Amino acid sequence: MMNRRKMLQSSALGFGHLALAGLLSECAGREVSANPLAPRPGHYPAKAKRVIFLFMHGGPSQVDTFDYKPLLQRDDGKPLPFARPRVVSSQTGNLLKSPFRFAQHGQSGQWVSELFPHLATCVDELCIIRSMHGSNSRHGGALLELHTGSDTFVRPSMGSWITYGLGTENQDLPGFITICPTLTHGGVNNWASAFLPAVYQGTPIGNASTSSERATIPFIQGPTPRGIQRMELDFLGEMNRERLAHTGPDAALESRIASFELAFRMQAAAPELQDIRSESAETMRLYGLDQDRTRNFGRQCLMARRYAERGVRFIQVTHSYKWDQHSNLRNDHTSNALEVDQPIAGLIKDLKRRGLLEDTLVLWGGEFGRTPTAQGRDGRDHNPQGFTMWLAGAGVKPGLAYGATDDYGYYAEQDKVHFHDLHATMLHLLGLDHLRLTYRYAGRDFRLTDVHGEVVQGILS
Amino acid sequence: MTRVLWSLALFVPLAGATSGQEPMANLAGLKFFETHVRPVLSNRCYECHGPEKQKGKLRVDSLAALLAGGKSGPALKAGKPDESLLIQAIRHGESLQMPPRMKLPAKEIGDLTAWVKMGAPWPDAKTQVAKQPAPEGETIFTKAQTAHWAFQPIRKPDPPAVRNPGWGRSPLDAFILAKLQEKGLAPAPAADARTLIRRLTFDLIGLPPTPAEVEAFVAESRAAPQAALEKAVDRLLASPRYGERWARHWLDVVRYADSNGMDENLVFGNAWRYRDYVIKAFNTDKPYDEFVREQIAGDLPPAKNPDEAGERIIATGFLCIGPKMLAEDDPVKMEMDIIDEQVDTMGRAFMGMTLGCVRCHDHKYDPFTIADYYALAGIFKSTKTMDNFRVVARWQERPTATLAEVQKASQHAKKMAELQENIARAIKQQYGAIVQPERQRAREYWETARAVHLMAAGKTVEQWARDKRLKQAFLKQWLELARKSPVELNAVALAKVSLDEKGPFRFTAELEADFSAAARKELGVRRSELAAMEKSAPVLAETMAVSEGKATNLRIHLRGNHMTQGREVPRRFPKLFSNLKQEPIDASQSGRLSLARWMTLAEHPLTSRVMVNRLWHWHFGSGLVRSVDNFGLLGEKPSHPELLDWLATRFIESGWSIKAMQRIMVLSSAYQMSGAYHDGAYQIDPDNRLHWRHNRRRLEAEALRDSLYGLGGNLDVAMGGTLFDAKNRKYVPGYPNGNYEKYDFPRRSIYLPVIRSAQYEVLQAFDFADPSFPSGERAITTVAPQALFLMNGKIVHEQTRAWAEKLLLDSKLDDAGRVGRIYEQALGRPARAQEIERALDFLQRIESERARQKMVDSRAHAWQSLCRVMVSANEFVYVE
Repeated sequence: MMNRRKMLQSSALGFGHLALAGLLSECAGREVSANPLAPRPGHYPAKAKRVIFLFMHGGPSQVDTFDYKPLLQRDDGKPLPFARPRVVSSQTGNLLKSPFRFAQHGQSGQWVSELFPHLATCVDELCIIRSMHGSNSRHGGALLELHTGSDTFVRPSMGSWITYGLGTENQDLPGFITICPTLTHGGVNNWASAFLPAVYQGTPIGNASTSSERATIPFIQGPTPRGIQRMELDFLGEMNRERLAHTGPDAALESRIASFELAFRMQAAAPELQDIRSESAETMRLYGLDQDRTRNFGRQCLMARRYAERGVRFIQVTHSYKWDQHSNLRNDHTSNALEVDQPIAGLIKDLKRRGLLEDTLVLWGGEFGRTPTAQGRDGRDHNPQGFTMWLAGAGVKPGLAYGATDDYGYYAEQDKVHFHDLHATMLHLLGLDHLRLTYRYAGRDFRLTDVHGEVVQGILS
Repeated sequence: MTRVLWSLALFVPLAGATSGQEPMANLAGLKFFETHVRPVLSNRCYECHGPEKQKGKLRVDSLAALLAGGKSGPALKAGKPDESLLIQAIRHGESLQMPPRMKLPAKEIGDLTAWVKMGAPWPDAKTQVAKQPAPEGETIFTKAQTAHWAFQPIRKPDPPAVRNPGWGRSPLDAFILAKLQEKGLAPAPAADARTLIRRLTFDLIGLPPTPAEVEAFVAESRAAPQAALEKAVDRLLASPRYGERWARHWLDVVRYADSNGMDENLVFGNAWRYRDYVIKAFNTDKPYDEFVREQIAGDLPPAKNPDEAGERIIATGFLCIGPKMLAEDDPVKMEMDIIDEQVDTMGRAFMGMTLGCVRCHDHKYDPFTIADYYALAGIFKSTKTMDNFRVVARWQERPTATLAEVQKASQHAKKMAELQENIARAIKQQYGAIVQPERQRAREYWETARAVHLMAAGKTVEQWARDKRLKQAFLKQWLELARKSPVELNAVALAKVSLDEKGPFRFTAELEADFSAAARKELGVRRSELAAMEKSAPVLAETMAVSEGKATNLRIHLRGNHMTQGREVPRRFPKLFSNLKQEPIDASQSGRLSLARWMTLAEHPLTSRVMVNRLWHWHFGSGLVRSVDNFGLLGEKPSHPELLDWLATRFIESGWSIKAMQRIMVLSSAYQMSGAYHDGAYQIDPDNRLHWRHNRRRLEAEALRDSLYGLGGNLDVAMGGTLFDAKNRKYVPGYPNGNYEKYDFPRRSIYLPVIRSAQYEVLQAFDFADPSFPSGERAITTVAPQALFLMNGKIVHEQTRAWAEKLLLDSKLDDAGRVGRIYEQALGRPARAQEIERALDFLQRIESERARQKMVDSRAHAWQSLCRVMVSANEFVYVE
């Protein structure tokens, strides 16, 4: 085993002894690198190198988007012919048919509603899971369950687990970022590292109230001119090296010297990343940056591609809390879909033509779906019992519809996929065994999937 | 088919137990089983619950096995499909879904249900459950578990004999030295006075020593080092800044925050009272046993006076400030989750035990059973923490006003009442003067009013009043009367209504226009006074606190699931500690008070050990037991077990005085060692487990921020209260789409709002503990965002600017003197000659670079650059 100090000396990025202790205990058998964010191999060869998670906060309705239910259309206004769950967030009435027309698209003939005309053209890339289910009927609990696997306790986010497991490929950028995340319903706990070392926490790029144009990394800019800052850092380096000579070897002091140089490089890399003028007009149009309704989310998606290109491990893009149609389903789902449809289709096409889709896993979905029964005249309640998410890209079967809900789209019934299973599968695609990716905290080995989770073999390509 | 079922249904009451006594029905049942049930079980279930595998310790290939069940309890209740786990599971009910990924076709579910309903006939079945598993929670502990060091009584070891006893002032040192000598190591030489005073000052109050304090200490140390040290320690322990520093450590342990976090980030608008209570407890050296008892059950014993009562109620905030799922649709789950959080926090904070693990199953490592857990949880189930468990749920708050506050409030109320009376009196007097003459004109009013009413068209009331010279306000009221009573009023009746307090001559605000100018002015003044008083009326303090609830025992929740409950367990303390005196818990009480007393028994093997170890960790940078929050079998063993017991004994003997314990620690020679590197020692003990030198430590987030304000000359040392600009119980401002951003206060960091789920980025960058978890040990990371903060952060920019400006304004100093001052203030030492030279050169280069780029204000900026480098330097950020 390497001597601890030597390990730290070779580190580009310093870190604390807790992190080290954790890594040493967890990575036994795998190559241990001194830098906790250095890229490292998983448990087995990976199909996906990175994840882009397109999060639709609020809960898009499965029966109005990807889960076509002819019987629901037929039995509009009739009572639900089976029991509702014991715990619901509100009372709902009789069945409510979808106000949106469905059609089959692409070679695969997958059903997509008229809400997503652009996405419908990419349907042969999508692996649609129509049998998702979770355990919590409220936004907060469901968001936390989706992001961390637990709706009961504060636990590390999936992005944190993944960067903990794999490190990240670009040391000049954070390994786990979340663009314009929501601060509600768990807020930072949805991207926090909890008991994992803090280096694995998500870096928020702006938040839900920031326009994507202005969203940037915290503290990345300051009032000091660059030349002056360089002089300050040179002077600081001299002082620190002198001090090190005085104290004798100390890994923490050494890595702190390195951390200033890294910060300086990050600062240099950020404006280039933020500046999208180098993108062609055609690309801008592809993401809908030329239109008012799609500009904001389009830019988020474009930034996601730029981060992905630069090797960021986990990128989350949030379409903020808009999808919660307890009423006004027809208008609001239409407007929400309009904002995201072209940007997402643009992202998939752009990733594909750049060859990035091969090793990028794209995930789309909300924290739950909605009831096929009506809330008021034009609304649906939360429904964690059965809903749709889709995957695209690295390692998943394209053009597949997996699993099914009942005849009306209320409960997942066939090939059910719980959030834990989704997590296990994502880790699997990234080359990580969810049973072996553990971290010891408070006397227990924790996993993203807790004591659950099974890899969904049926969707693997 | 229907007929068969019908005839079988008749058989239900006798099923199972009488199997074999009803041949006809039985035969049909068995046939049904063979054709419709066994194939399903075998195709769908045997793979995981058969001869090969028994997931969840369940097999379903015999009736006996089904009746015995697995981890979740019996799988079958003959005749009662709704109560049978097997059926609940295949229906994909809440607690279990089987097969897990694929719901069975409706027909198979129907068949299995019908079969259970008919009494679960099974050929040649033994209905007797072959082997009753031990009742849950009655696991026998292994020897390794019960013999674990942390559960053994605290011994009172004598300090070991050491060679070369010349080193060491305190018995504590003998324990350290003995271990070092065992390994052939020697303690590092003592740190010099400057290093020592900087270490001690940061350690005890979280701020750098002033240059004057450093110089005084250096001078005094030269004459009498130990006396100087004792004096400095006394001074620092007596400083109010001490409580602010050490309370923050404790707040980490109790996962303190000013908002709920989790799903609904509501404002804990009164949590700060608990925070202030902790600061005061440290400053006044509240005995630790009392401190613990107050946090568990402060509300229960009678208090000497309202102040004490209020303070103790506030202390129970410890149990209330945890993160909660306030929008959980299942109220039973919500309550159990809240209780779990309380049990877990209490276990970790006071005993270093991870009791949360035991919610679902016996502890995998430590000797705690699921019965122990629900026995403890019952105490909190019998305690009221919440007003309700609705969505969004409401936590309980209790009045806590001190006597002084109550008096102040009642004085305020009295003054307001006086003022109101004053106003009323003035009005009455003016009104009296106005109404007196008008009463004589009652008939005129009445007739005019009738005229207005009857001939509604034409003149308005205003015009009538003007023409008749009547008071318009009164006339309007007469008009009301005229509309109500169309009959004529005689003189007697008229006189009566004129004097009626509610009659048409009653007072109305409109009349104030007729008051004298002086009276109007006076009234205006009085009224604005009253409005101001209303605004400033003291709100009687309430605080998040618990009270006694309905005393009740809990049943064991199998696998932690409230949908599958086992047997009831009486409230009690973990069986492991059965040798400790346990007061019986009165059936009418929660048992919290007994729990509090039990926790602080001198013989309790954990409470005192855990706390002295925490203190050691905070002073030395690493605990004698390094896993400060885990003293269980998976925790680390103490490096110096005898020392730990010696300290725990001294702690208890001193009356659980934290300050006395800290004095013992910081006055030891062990504490005063330098941090000097020694290659030989490093090879033997790289982690410094044996304390061959002092651990070099990075400033915590708060110490760094507070020092920046201090160096900028802007630190406001006001104490207590809240800076959180938010309404209690409402969502955190900024929600739903923005961050809470008001942190711009020059107060000490402990007073800044702690927002769960959106923490302050400055503190967070420097490893502020996640306030959702109890945590006695902060991670120490060295990452680029910290460097970015020092390079670009607003606070750094503002405070280094202020610092530079102050230096430049000091006309007694020349530039070399200014550089010297910077070194003294930031690093606690004079600058060496070549350091001054280098700094001056740096200043000059910055200035000319700025001049070259035609930037203004170059001199101040250059000094600011120097100040920024200084607070970024390792020598500043690390305490030796």
